[in-house]
Amino acid sequence: MNPGEREELARLLPYRADPELPRDRHRTLKEFVMTEIHRDPRPAAPRRRFPRLALLAPALAAAGLAVAAPMLLGGAEPAYAVTKEDDGTIFVTINEAKDPDGLEAELRALGLNAVVDYVPMGKKCSPQPRSERFLTKEEAPLTVFPAPKGQETGFTLDPGVVKAGQTAVLEFSVSEQTGGVIAAIWARVSDGPVAECHLADSTEAPLGPPAGS
Amino acid sequence: MSLRARIRDGDAEAFERLFDDFGRAVYGHAFRLTGDWSAAEDVMALTFLEAWRLRRRIDAEGGSLRPWLLGIATNVARNTRRAARRHDDALARLPRPAPVADFAEEVAGRVDDARTLAAVRRAYGSLRRAEQEVFALVVWSGLGYAEAAVALGVSVGTIRSRLSRARRRLALFAAEREPLPPPRQERGDRGTAVRIVREEYR
Repeated sequence: MNPGEREELARLLPYRADPELPRDRHRTLKEFVMTEIHRDPRPAAPRRRFPRLALLAPALAAAGLAVAAPMLLGGAEPAYAVTKEDDGTIFVTINEAKDPDGLEAELRALGLNAVVDYVPMGKKCSPQPRSERFLTKEEAPLTVFPAPKGQETGFTLDPGVVKAGQTAVLEFSVSEQTGGVIAAIWARVSDGPVAECHLADSTEAPLGPPAGS
Repeated sequence: MSLRARIRDGDAEAFERLFDDFGRAVYGHAFRLTGDWSAAEDVMALTFLEAWRLRRRIDAEGGSLRPWLLGIATNVARNTRRAARRHDDALARLPRPAPVADFAEEVAGRVDDARTLAAVRRAYGSLRRAEQEVFALVVWSGLGYAEAAVALGVSVGTIRSRLSRARRRLALFAAEREPLPPPRQERGDRGTAVRIVREEYR
């Protein structure tokens, strides 16, 4: 279609301005989507369409898995695991969102000065922002993505980006639906002291400072 | 590796970039399809959940993923409940704005004068759904015929014919109706004005 035709049609039904979301809603929706895709235990839909029956079996298997997993985790498996890699980074997996102080202590033992908080849905750390100055993701790339193949439930931290006097602030949103498993991560380096996290009711995005601060 | 290839391979950070790049375009398309700011949020969120689910269907090579996303958004808007069920009723977990927020007011202020908007929605409502979808993709979101054909999974010829039917129907509608009212300054609560528009076109 040539531009003239499009203009003619646009004149018939004019939207003078584009509808836009307020910034904090945009951010809430983004965090919601990112949380949900981490929550979803199902594999991606296959490349080609299969008959519905063929899809049913893996879907049922995935459903069974989702039910079984929390029961397994309730057993002897530790809430988290921390390993120092050869390149100096730290690989963390969290099976259950509990004992943040223990995880904090383990990270410190490996040379990463960190504070760890778990934030349930509908809550938020207060006060926000928790530091006078957070370095940007570019200034201090604390988290390294993507996770190694086959270990997508974990994430890698680079303690090298945290200098003397700085603190790694790790906030995790926790989804009840999957038995208290981590849904999303917010990780930044604070230059200076970090306020303690007191959970407060919130309808905003669960992690990090509110938009625009 | 291209952004397409990274998203196809399940790279969440690449997917986040997709949201940054096209979240606004998807929201705008969803709003124009539904005429409802709240429904548009649902469609936007579900569109990206669907995109993640369908990521393996992305080809490593190709242009912008915008037409693909707008195609998904169109399908989601057509059957939001089915998409919500597919994602384990994710919408129940979507944080809603506080009830006292002046959010509707903000949207109304940015979108258009409420009366003109209502008139546009009336005329748009006179189109059949298939024509509405093509009109929104090609005229409002600026996709080419070929892109719109890919987005909807139909032929270029179908796009062309739906658009010319839309044109004829709109001309007919305009001839039968009073012209659009001149823009008028709405005094008082704009949020209320938008809610009325929503009820009219549900």
